[in-house]
Amino acid sequence: MKQAWRHLWRSRRRSILTLVAVFLPVLILVLQFSFLNGEQESLFRNTVTLETGHLQIRSSTERPDGGALAFMKDPAAALAVVDSMPGMAWRTTRLDLPALISNGGRSQGVLLQGVVPEEVGRVSPIGRLVKEGAYVASGERGLVIGTELRDLLDASLGAELVLLGVHPDTGIGAASIPVVGVYLAPDPAMGRGIVQTDLALAQTLARRPGAVTSIVAMVDGVSGPWDAYKIDRVVAALRTRLPQEYKVLDYRELAPELKTFETLERPFHILAMSIFFVLGGLVVLNTLFLSVVERTHELGVILALGAARRRVMRMVMTEAFLLALVGAVAGLLAGGGLIAWAQAGGGLKLPGAYDEMVRMMGMEAILQLRVSVLEVAASGLAMIGVALLAAWLPARRAASLEPVEAMRHVD
Amino acid sequence: MSTSAILKTENLVKTYVTGTVETPALRGVDFELRKGEFTAIAGPSGSGKSTLLHLLGGLDRPTSGEIYLDGTALSTLKRDALSKLRLEKIGFVFQAYNLIPVLTVIENAAFVLELRGVQARERMERARKVLAELGIEKYANQYPNRISGGEQQRVAVARAVVAEPAIVLADEPTANLDSKTSLELIDLMKNLNLSTEHAGTFLFATHDARLLDRVNRLVTLVDGKIATDEVRSPL
Repeated sequence: MKQAWRHLWRSRRRSILTLVAVFLPVLILVLQFSFLNGEQESLFRNTVTLETGHLQIRSSTERPDGGALAFMKDPAAALAVVDSMPGMAWRTTRLDLPALISNGGRSQGVLLQGVVPEEVGRVSPIGRLVKEGAYVASGERGLVIGTELRDLLDASLGAELVLLGVHPDTGIGAASIPVVGVYLAPDPAMGRGIVQTDLALAQTLARRPGAVTSIVAMVDGVSGPWDAYKIDRVVAALRTRLPQEYKVLDYRELAPELKTFETLERPFHILAMSIFFVLGGLVVLNTLFLSVVERTHELGVILALGAARRRVMRMVMTEAFLLALVGAVAGLLAGGGLIAWAQAGGGLKLPGAYDEMVRMMGMEAILQLRVSVLEVAASGLAMIGVALLAAWLPARRAASLEPVEAMRHVD
Repeated sequence: MSTSAILKTENLVKTYVTGTVETPALRGVDFELRKGEFTAIAGPSGSGKSTLLHLLGGLDRPTSGEIYLDGTALSTLKRDALSKLRLEKIGFVFQAYNLIPVLTVIENAAFVLELRGVQARERMERARKVLAELGIEKYANQYPNRISGGEQQRVAVARAVVAEPAIVLADEPTANLDSKTSLELIDLMKNLNLSTEHAGTFLFATHDARLLDRVNRLVTLVDGKIATDEVRSPL
């Protein structure tokens, strides 16, 4: 070990170059992991708090046309099961109803969401996005529409709009309801297509008092995607306890793009990162190969003195190991330091358009960089593994030298 | 092989082949070295001295013939076994010192013991003792490039004898040294040969006639054959 370490200092410049070649991939991988984790966490947080919740319970009846969700048969019984479930943090009910909205002259197909106003903020951003008027209050007869729909229907605050609720089970229900709030949607399709109102009013339009189409729930102690197992546990328990007429969907099933991210993006990034690792490995190979060629005479002497070939091989491998270890540790420390520095400032501020979009959703456009011990260890170990793999060829060459021929080699 | 012989060769032939050109280096050497001898192989340049030493040390294979070291026929040994035999039975001193530049003097002297797996403390003690016998203990913690050629060659001798091998082979050990240093080195080797602790067998190649009155046996090689074999002072 001592001998290998001193050899590295003999060709200082080359060793430093190799250290950099080892250091950079590790640093980049650690940062990459932290960005991915931050992005994944952000996407998870956005998805579950703005859209899906951790899980939803719906009627298991499938609509062949994919249109309106079926009414839950006995929401009170389902709620009782949910409320008695250990690990459940919070839940609300929602009625999603396809509807036609009209100002008398123009009409537009929308999804009317009947919500519990004081609860819905935890799983919908619309309350935070209201720019004119106010969000609908509990029991209030009012609509919250997007700016796009307002412009389309030329409907200012207080304007009465006619709503036709359409459901296959109950037919058509109609009502004239005033606009009480206008929200600025991050996505024009949302602003044109989503209208929220008080749950009771939506139930009237659906012509079924007490009807709900979803129970949206959050699980206790979930701070990011790394806690997904807690959600899985609750989902599994609910599936066994709820009658067959209900289905329990987790956030991945409700937002398939999140699942795609989890299953595809990470492996893709890691695969892309492997190019840096291969380059690092090639530099290690080159360094050790040159080192072995330069030391041919010396290696010949060592072999002549009776060193076993495996010892000579181990000597070269040890040099590779030391280079990789020092480079990897430096990369990990630098990566960890940069992450800690970014986090000390409250996280990484997102640039440009992404920043704008996230802000419009009513959220902070800051990526929380995180990296797990496992990812840190994997980054370091992967580089050490690549370096040892790269060192194998020069080590084998060193071990297969013939002492007499090697000693004739002129440095 | 006689009972006191440590090394024996039988009709040793070595021919180097370069493309279609064959260059005979040894043309049938029969030679026996007895335990405790301090023997020189002399001869002009190109007479085959180094080739013979390389073959005797198991560093190279003969074209034909056999070498027995302590009763073991070297041709029967595979590469790893030959390395092991070199480590356990032979000490080498090379013309160009061939110390390991990243090791200190004492680490160089102890290197063979390290290869043998001797514990650090013991090998340092033993190396320091030999360095003291050779008068270079004060350089123990220096690196080889900080000491003179003569001192480096003493370190090489220390490395060769520290593990008390059955035989020490030295290939032109004084070729790079001045006359005074050469004689001092040979005297030191002779002292080691005579000492009770390191009483090994020494065989060295030289073309320096001034060193030959120190040996108790002189073998002369000419054109790859033994020309004379003269015992000057019996054991």
